[in-house]
Amino acid sequence: MGGLLAQIIMNRLKYIIVNIVETLLRGFPFPSKTGLIKIGNPGRDSPVFLTCNYHLTVERVKRALKGIDCYLLVANSRGINVWCAATGGHFTNHDVISVLKTSGIEKLVNHRNVVLPQLAATGIESSVIKKKTGWKVHWGPVYAKDVPAFLKNMFIKTKEMREVRFPLMQRIEMAAMWAFPFSIIASIITFHFFRDMVLPVATFLWILSLLIFISFPLYSKWLNTKKKGTSFSKYTIIFDFGRVPLILWGVFMFFIAVYGILISNFTSGFIFRWGLVSFVFVLLISIDLMGSTPVYKSGLHEDRLLKVILDEEKCRGAGMCEQVCPRDCYEVDKSRHIATMPGADKCVQCGACIVQCPFDALYFKSPKGEVLAPETVRRFKLNLMGKRLVKVEEQ
Amino acid sequence: MSTYILMKILESAPGRYDRGIRILTLGRLGKTYDSLVSHIKEGQRVLDIGCGTGALTLKAASKNATVMGIDVNPQMLEIVQKKVNELNLAQNIKLCEMGVAELGSEEFKSYDIVMSGLTFSELTEDELSYTLKEVKRILKPGGLLLIADEVIPEDILKRTINWLIRFPLVIITYLITQTTTNAVRDLPERIEEAGLIIESVRLNKLENFIELVARNPEEGAKSITTH
Repeated sequence: MGGLLAQIIMNRLKYIIVNIVETLLRGFPFPSKTGLIKIGNPGRDSPVFLTCNYHLTVERVKRALKGIDCYLLVANSRGINVWCAATGGHFTNHDVISVLKTSGIEKLVNHRNVVLPQLAATGIESSVIKKKTGWKVHWGPVYAKDVPAFLKNMFIKTKEMREVRFPLMQRIEMAAMWAFPFSIIASIITFHFFRDMVLPVATFLWILSLLIFISFPLYSKWLNTKKKGTSFSKYTIIFDFGRVPLILWGVFMFFIAVYGILISNFTSGFIFRWGLVSFVFVLLISIDLMGSTPVYKSGLHEDRLLKVILDEEKCRGAGMCEQVCPRDCYEVDKSRHIATMPGADKCVQCGACIVQCPFDALYFKSPKGEVLAPETVRRFKLNLMGKRLVKVEEQ
Repeated sequence: MSTYILMKILESAPGRYDRGIRILTLGRLGKTYDSLVSHIKEGQRVLDIGCGTGALTLKAASKNATVMGIDVNPQMLEIVQKKVNELNLAQNIKLCEMGVAELGSEEFKSYDIVMSGLTFSELTEDELSYTLKEVKRILKPGGLLLIADEVIPEDILKRTINWLIRFPLVIITYLITQTTTNAVRDLPERIEEAGLIIESVRLNKLENFIELVARNPEEGAKSITTH
């Protein structure tokens, strides 16, 4: 009995440590073993779930599935989380086909139904999986914790299960993800030039990241997502964003000045050095934040200025768009057999609806009027900088 | 400005794949591929698993073999297609976007040669076993499996040196191409388990790169199919 309790505590402890370490290193791929995992005592009719091989995800999904007899397939997403990997072309049809075919699952169950995380819909085409393997893809909830309710609900998702939110806990995780590597790099640099300041610099970076992410719902309201930047070139639009970080920077500089006066070490060189160093941090964090939040549409990422257009001629109201949209943009009119986009403003240009539409009724349109056809969106994924590689480089 | 340059590099990642891999393999790849392709004869049917930007495919096709190149990356295939058109090899080469899990669609005993360069190291455990089983099935009796790939050295000292050399190379390559390779463990043993006979194995001095030729045994005394 005592042994069992110790085991439970150890497992719990391990889970907590894994969560802390991998949250701090979240910006980096963390692969776990791919293949088949049995959960409980699955039988020939047990459900089959599939996820990516980002270690933290696998651990969390396993935890969410506890108490359900089922199979979990871990597909090779190069150690990257589902949404990033699927949108960036690291988690593709081939990886799903591969794990269905090579893991031995086909010999273990009678049915051919597999539940995929909804956020994989930006990269995995359910029609291709069906055609190549015979397996029917069911788009599960966004968050693993909703899976038990999804099962009870007979594979039908509620609106809440479909939507990506950015709750406080997740925002803190994101802040830690940025603050940790940056504070380490900054500490190493300051250690060489400015030894007394290692701790203040690291602390400052953590506080700044936390402030930005925690206050996110507040100041993201001030950001004008409609406005096209009137800067110099598209690469200088980052300064549009600078308001909140710049205010924080101003506050920081004020404290530095006060600090300088208090310890009577107030020289222009001191202020200049600190001003420059902290300004670089502010800039870095602004740039990173722009790429890491699902709300702000910046000029740096042309893809975020794209608009999803619904071709009413082609739409038959299949409703796949509603099933895979993580921002709840769509509503399907069952009587008229047509989809509408009452929530188009909330769109984050993930492209899942375009990839999944069986009638090719959706496409991207750029502010310049260029059309990105469904075929292009399916074929060419975003790279690390959020760009879609449409052209082949001249050799 | 530096951000801009970085973006340019990342933007062209698939195009830079060749260069990245050349850095990672310290330039030895070309020679290895030449030596592998020397096993291919005119008119043979060849399958290139994971053809990438076409290094092996093009070499085999220029020997007048009929080559099927498969890869999971459509952008890579587009680069190969471009090279194929430039070299006027279109009649010898067929390209197909598919992964090893779809090899089931290839016919029983339909290839003289199955070859693969730096692909087995990208496969998962399950994929590797599955691939070897399929290779055994689609190879004609007497047909050859040709492999050039990275392996993990058995000697602990060499393993350490290998890691020290590889580490910076992996980082440089990843920055340029966002690809990397992992080494395979026990490749010759696994090939034998799949029922193929190892003809020759050549390792470099550091024992981290393998060039391997394996044969699908003839059934009984006679070969059933003719070339």
